[in-house]
Amino acid sequence: MNRTPVLEIENLCARVHDKEIIKNLNLTIYEGEVHAIMGPNGAGKSTLSYVLCGKEGYEVTGGSVKLYGKDLLKMSVEERAREGLFLIMQYPVEIPGVPTTSFLKYAVNDIRKHRGEPELDTMEFIKMLREEGKKLGIDNEMLKRPVNVGFSGGEKKRMETLQMAILKPNMAILDEADSGLDIDAMKVVAQGVNSLRDGKRAMLVITHYKRLLEYIVPDVVHVFANGHIVKSGSKDLAEELENTGYAEFVKDIA
Amino acid sequence: MSKIVLKNYADWQQDDTNTTFCPKLAILREKGRQAFLSQGLPTPKTEAWKYTKLRNLSDEEFVVESDDKNSFHCHDEKCHCHDEHETGSHEHCCCHENCLPFEVYEVNFCNGKLKADHFHTTQGLSIVSLTDAFENGDVFKYLNKSFDINNFPFAALNSAYLEQGVMIAVDKNFNDDKPILLNFHSHGDIKRLSNVYNVIVAESGARATILEHYYCSGAEKSVYFNNIVNEFFIGRDAYIRHYKVQQEAFKAFHIALNSVQVKQGGHYESFCLQLGADLSRQETQVVLKEPHAEAEVNAVYKMNGWATLDTTTDIKHISKETVSHQLVKGIIGGKAKGVFQGKIHIAPDAVKTEGYQLHKALLLSDEAEVDVKPELEIFADDVKCSHGAASGELDKEQLFYLQSRGIGEDEAKTLLIKAFTDEVINKISCTAVAEWIKSL
Repeated sequence: MNRTPVLEIENLCARVHDKEIIKNLNLTIYEGEVHAIMGPNGAGKSTLSYVLCGKEGYEVTGGSVKLYGKDLLKMSVEERAREGLFLIMQYPVEIPGVPTTSFLKYAVNDIRKHRGEPELDTMEFIKMLREEGKKLGIDNEMLKRPVNVGFSGGEKKRMETLQMAILKPNMAILDEADSGLDIDAMKVVAQGVNSLRDGKRAMLVITHYKRLLEYIVPDVVHVFANGHIVKSGSKDLAEELENTGYAEFVKDIA
Repeated sequence: MSKIVLKNYADWQQDDTNTTFCPKLAILREKGRQAFLSQGLPTPKTEAWKYTKLRNLSDEEFVVESDDKNSFHCHDEKCHCHDEHETGSHEHCCCHENCLPFEVYEVNFCNGKLKADHFHTTQGLSIVSLTDAFENGDVFKYLNKSFDINNFPFAALNSAYLEQGVMIAVDKNFNDDKPILLNFHSHGDIKRLSNVYNVIVAESGARATILEHYYCSGAEKSVYFNNIVNEFFIGRDAYIRHYKVQQEAFKAFHIALNSVQVKQGGHYESFCLQLGADLSRQETQVVLKEPHAEAEVNAVYKMNGWATLDTTTDIKHISKETVSHQLVKGIIGGKAKGVFQGKIHIAPDAVKTEGYQLHKALLLSDEAEVDVKPELEIFADDVKCSHGAASGELDKEQLFYLQSRGIGEDEAKTLLIKAFTDEVINKISCTAVAEWIKSL
């Protein structure tokens, strides 16, 4: 079977403020796959997601990352997004004064332009946005508000999921997508995410509880500790971790 | 026509331009001249001008034109302020480059000269040239009455040449959202000092919107100096909206004093956008004389290059139960400098007064500078007052968030800057003006 890799991470090393956080990380995700990365707090899981997105202050000191064969590390933050990388953030920032609708219209059209697709006019865009919003229980009133301002934890995550739905990434990273969510809110987000599993789109789910993985069932589970992957396995590994905890992995390395 | 170099003011003993038929006017001019001579030009030691250096303004040789009926005709082909407009029969903005997307009552100044003697008005609204107002005599009740000319050197200079300007009077029969546009078009052809003095009188219960627009149709590097004084007298329960857009050529000078008196229940709502000039100062003094008088003094300034844009306010709460709000935001790039001096004075009897002031600046480059001097002088108990100042760069987390959704860096910055300034612009209660200002 010829599988196409979406994301290829080889020997990635990265630091934040002179502190090595990612050490020789290797990970390949193929089309249609959902991988989960689990690990203790402070292991550098969120750092990995920011490094992949190119956030300022996260310095790559070695290794390579390819997205559909293209060198991701050479791209600016927005180029990565336009090439199909998307991050559901753990704590989406509030941006007072920027209306959600106009922000998303810029984003959608910048990405469409990059892909050589015609830009959507306001009518087309609003129609699409409302339809996708409806599926996630996001009403028009929420879309009129400034980006993430005054949103509850659940609303923020639903809004992130909506963005994923309309930006149609080929590689989505979910960074603690369930943090701050009650079970119902989590189900809505998980449903939204699952509906975007189309056999081609790849996903990387970062979490430290298996709870979310009961709803977004991964193909592969990795244990992330001390800056790299220390163990990989099937979805059952998540169950195992729930029972044993992360202590043995952290200890092993130390 | 005469020529002056401001730094040589000490030699300026005899003023041959002060030839007028009107003795009261001659006295005002002479008082202005004396007040200017005794104050001299502000220096860094002048407290009110501590952060704003005059730079080239004092060295340039400026031409000052005195009244000449022939000069009422505009020779600039780009300027459409001709003929039929001089009668004021057209209400739309006539200068095609600067068409406003809404209707106005129009008053045109070309190079500081009023373009017409008659204006289209309606019931409750009167607009007359200062020249006519001098003949009529009423205007002398107001000129120089709301501020002390000995504290404002450029207003004194303006008074020394008092001639150009309008007197606008509105009464309770006037209640029109259509702005009265004071259109200040500079050609930038010669180094001209234009002194314009407007008096706005709102009788009890009047409502009116005044919009000032300054722009230049000439070369980008045109050097000229617009020296403006506006006096507002806001009567009981009158509501005056005063908006200003300053888009002077980027080597020009612009100094304006807005002096405002508000009586019981009166309301002064103001917004100023400064975008141009090498040196620009927008100074606003408001005296809240009687209970329930209110003032909103809001402003946005944006600049690059080497410009200095100064916003200076002085809100005097003389009476009890008066309210003032100030929100001023600046966006400073290049080697430019923003100055904000904001004063709230609360007199001993002004109890139950509220005075709020906030200044925020975004610095877009390492060499951009902002100097802020907030002052609260509170002599009464039982008042609510606050002031705050913040300056910083664009929020990196917000920028990252926008870019991570595929929005380009420049576009993301533009969105954040717009959000920053929209907070002030949204306070403009005249929607048409707010929308226009957002589009600039």
